[in-house]
Amino acid sequence: MTILEVERVEKTYPGGEAPVAAVRGVSLSVAAGELVALMGPSGCGKSTLLHVCGAMDTPTRGRVAIEGRDLSSLDDGALTRVRRERVGFVFQFFNLLPTLTVAENIALPLLLSGGSPGEALERAAALANRVGLGHRQRHYPQQLSGGEMQRTAIARAVVHRPALLIADEPTGNLDSASGARVLDLLRDVHEETGIALLMATHAPDVARIASRVVHMRDGLIERIDAGVAV
Amino acid sequence: MWLFSRFIARRLAGERLRSAVTALGVALGVAVVVAIRLANVSSVRGFEQALETMAGATSLEIVGSAEGFDERRLVALTWLGELGRLSPVIEGEAMYAPRGIAGSASEGDDRAAIEGGRRRASAGEMLRVVGIDILRDRPFREYALRSSGREGEGPSAREFLDLLRDPRAIILTAKFAGRHGLSNGGRVDLAIGDRVEVFTVAGLLDDVGPARALDGGIALMDIAAAQVAFGKLGRLDRLDVRLDEPEQVDAAEQLIASRLPEGLTVQRPSRRGRQVEQMLAAFHHNLAALSYIALIVGLFMVYNTVATSVVARRSEIGTLRALGVSRGRVLRLFLGEALVLALPASVVGVLLGRVLAVGAVALTSGTVSTLYVATGSAPPALDWTHWVLGLLVGVPLSLAAAAQPALEASRVSPTAALRGADRLETRFRLRRRFLVAPLALAALGAWLATRPASGNVPIAGYAAAVVFVFAAAFLVPAVLFAMARAGRRALGFRRGSPVPGSPAPAHRFFFVEGWLANASLSGAIPRLSISIAALAVSLAMMAAIAIMIGSFRETVVYWVGQTLTADLFVGPSSRSGGARQATISEEVERTIAAHEAVEVIDRVRQIPVPYGDSQAYLLAGDFTSLVARGQQLFKDPRDGKAAIRATLGEDVVVVSEAFSIRHGRGVGDDISLATPSGRARFRIVAVYFDYSSDRGVIAIDRAVFARHFGEARPTGLNVYLREGADAMAVRRALLDTLGASHRVFIYTNAGLRGEVLRIFDRTFAITYALELIAVVVAILGVAATLLTLILEREHEFAVLRLVGADRRQVRRMVVWEALMMGAVSQSVGLVVGVVLSLVLIYVINVQSFGWTIQFHMPWWFLTQMTLVILTATALAGLYPARLAARRAAPIREE
Repeated sequence: MTILEVERVEKTYPGGEAPVAAVRGVSLSVAAGELVALMGPSGCGKSTLLHVCGAMDTPTRGRVAIEGRDLSSLDDGALTRVRRERVGFVFQFFNLLPTLTVAENIALPLLLSGGSPGEALERAAALANRVGLGHRQRHYPQQLSGGEMQRTAIARAVVHRPALLIADEPTGNLDSASGARVLDLLRDVHEETGIALLMATHAPDVARIASRVVHMRDGLIERIDAGVAV
Repeated sequence: MWLFSRFIARRLAGERLRSAVTALGVALGVAVVVAIRLANVSSVRGFEQALETMAGATSLEIVGSAEGFDERRLVALTWLGELGRLSPVIEGEAMYAPRGIAGSASEGDDRAAIEGGRRRASAGEMLRVVGIDILRDRPFREYALRSSGREGEGPSAREFLDLLRDPRAIILTAKFAGRHGLSNGGRVDLAIGDRVEVFTVAGLLDDVGPARALDGGIALMDIAAAQVAFGKLGRLDRLDVRLDEPEQVDAAEQLIASRLPEGLTVQRPSRRGRQVEQMLAAFHHNLAALSYIALIVGLFMVYNTVATSVVARRSEIGTLRALGVSRGRVLRLFLGEALVLALPASVVGVLLGRVLAVGAVALTSGTVSTLYVATGSAPPALDWTHWVLGLLVGVPLSLAAAAQPALEASRVSPTAALRGADRLETRFRLRRRFLVAPLALAALGAWLATRPASGNVPIAGYAAAVVFVFAAAFLVPAVLFAMARAGRRALGFRRGSPVPGSPAPAHRFFFVEGWLANASLSGAIPRLSISIAALAVSLAMMAAIAIMIGSFRETVVYWVGQTLTADLFVGPSSRSGGARQATISEEVERTIAAHEAVEVIDRVRQIPVPYGDSQAYLLAGDFTSLVARGQQLFKDPRDGKAAIRATLGEDVVVVSEAFSIRHGRGVGDDISLATPSGRARFRIVAVYFDYSSDRGVIAIDRAVFARHFGEARPTGLNVYLREGADAMAVRRALLDTLGASHRVFIYTNAGLRGEVLRIFDRTFAITYALELIAVVVAILGVAATLLTLILEREHEFAVLRLVGADRRQVRRMVVWEALMMGAVSQSVGLVVGVVLSLVLIYVINVQSFGWTIQFHMPWWFLTQMTLVILTATALAGLYPARLAARRAAPIREE
């Protein structure tokens, strides 16, 4: 089943002298249970493509659909609901709320959807255990290491059982050992839940866990390699 | 300067709204201080100016007792003629009472007659009538008679004499006549005491000399006619002296003092002004102290703005430091930010102060006129002293408020720029010092509250209040911490651990936004503390004042209920308008005594007398009746009646608590009063509770009064009716009988109680107005803080949007934050308010006014206030909330 469909997507930003075309006609699809890695040099358009795929931004041209639902026809509220219910995110800089504990950060998407705190926190606790932070769930983000923060972010990204997980350089801000552990965790979560995972990364060894590796350059797909995990 | 314009000015301009709100806070603070100063000056200056313009060339004046002196004594003063010229003067007050104003048909009319500082239009207007011997007075005062027909020249003495030959002739100012449509040669009805007398307008004075005083509320009569009109036959109020060598005034004063016979004293005309100033001092000090609250709140805002700007720009400061900008320069940059905000704000504040002063005068002049002296109604124009005051309180204090954050900025190390990526704030931890400082300050405050006043100014009391305010401010972080934790518990989150079973009941009301708001507030405690403290402090003052006034009111209600025992109270209408010497005529007294329902009449005479540097009231009443029927509450001894009974007929007095505290005189002490026959000593036999005047009352038995001061008409009658008589019906019947030819007010017991409370409420209207401004400023502070936080928290909102929060949820969250800030502020405010009210009631009030007030909690007002504050802070959060929702886009990281 196709979770994400991207057809001839273009994204142009109004620039100073001339508009900047960040993505220039990309087509791509990700099926359930697939892990697709996006690779390429800085400025090649990976992040922009992720934002468009994750309902955070709308394309200038082309079509993006999540589980068959066309995002281009949705207003801000509907896009918010799509993010809240069907998409999870993991970023380079973790993006945890400093005022919430680990468990609360993890539970946040469920709470924002109107879930009861009791149930949300129970599920958050289970996930915290799953990512190896059972003993840290009462801590605040600034009391954690980088790797722990990223594991919290991963738990938060899947707490509401999304169909699609978007990860933008999840290891970019970590040392190599922590980075490797985070990648393993992402793979494990992906395999256990069957979530479609689209991940932008510079890490060369990501190919070992990906089903496909999409190489981008100057806003276009340069080539697509089959990953080791196929 | 280049760096300042790029680094500071640009940002201030970029965040126009926030800068404007801060500047407005300072401007309002300065405005209130300037306005109260103008209002205070206007009440004293109005009187002093009247005094100055009316004194003219008078160097010294000879005065007797409060009842004036016998004109036959002039014979013994002929030697004064060697020193200069002399002019005897009679002064009295009359109420302009055009036909058509009925003689107090209802109690509402009495009320209308008392309204406002200036009683104009239908309610009539007070006139100060000066009786002079025109031939003797010409060298003293300058008059420009319009009817003289010679533009710019004064009237000849002959013309004046012609005008005043008629005992019914009176000269008004052209200004006054214009106001009331009176013309030369026409008739004018004046209420003097309780009678309405008809006079002929014999001339109009142009706006020169004494005519300028009291907004034209001055009239001239021949001295003999004035003696008749004011019931002062054979008496003089004073003898003005114009020295041939005015520069020798000191020597002359000494010489005269040494030669004056017993019962007469010499003084400068300005002395009466100083007495008024003294009398109003406590009232003014309290207003001035209150006015500084709004300023303090404004200063909190300056601190807040600079502090948040320093926090938000840490890495930029680090970059500047890395590029070689010195610590001193960084310090100056941020002090400059405060200066740029404070300077224009202070200028605007002074101008705004002049506008607010009109309102302040409107709110205070009624009080001053009712309780102290009749005075002018318009605030004076701004002069350089107000600009200096505005800039002196606005600018240096703003710089002082900015000093701490600016110093912190100067300590930022160059490496701060390198750690810029770290967005996580350090969490606030409750440390012991957050409790030690407020506790130590509270102890200091408690100690200060036990110190005595210096003079009549409760300096230590004010200091105690300020110290308590700071204790409250320092306590805010700890309270915020505790409340955030309690909030989390209430919402079902125990330090992040899951709560088994159903959600906490509070969750249903707070939703996730309330929980998030609570979390983000607890994450920003150090930042929020300042603006919450500012709001809490102003709310504490508001609560304290409400408790103090509520307690005072309850005390007065009790006192009035206990002591007002007569069925009817009669007084001349002009008295309630400010004519303190106005008396009841024999005719009125006879009419009332003749009514079948009247059983007993107590005659009282209450007149202002100079005492020490100030003034007090001398109240002559029937002590036999007091012992028989009076219900006075005595402070010392408890059974004051017994003490009075035992000394009936002796030279003794009973003084009010305010007099006793103000002048440090108690039971067994002697006081000395000027009587027409010289100074006499009276022993204090009792001190009683009284809330009618903070200047103090000396009560004396009528017979003893007559012995020393001579017989005089009463200024009021307390009428007791026979069992079963209907007081309202008797009142109506008496007013009908007295008709339009007499102007008296007759209050029933209930009516007078209502009137007392009405005057009471009006007296404190200004207090609430001042407090309201302080609260408005503080709420502006909350809005400014939220705006700042929102600008800084864009990233946080973006994360929320990313994980699925919609704009509505972001908006609600910010409104919840505002509401919670209001709730914390109000909680702290209420607790500290109670403490401050104790200082106000038991220290400041006792020391400045000499009043014992019973503590009473105005629950209803405090509940209303809490609801208003919560609503207001939530409303103050609306704009920042909308802004947050608009700006919050889901996060994007490149």
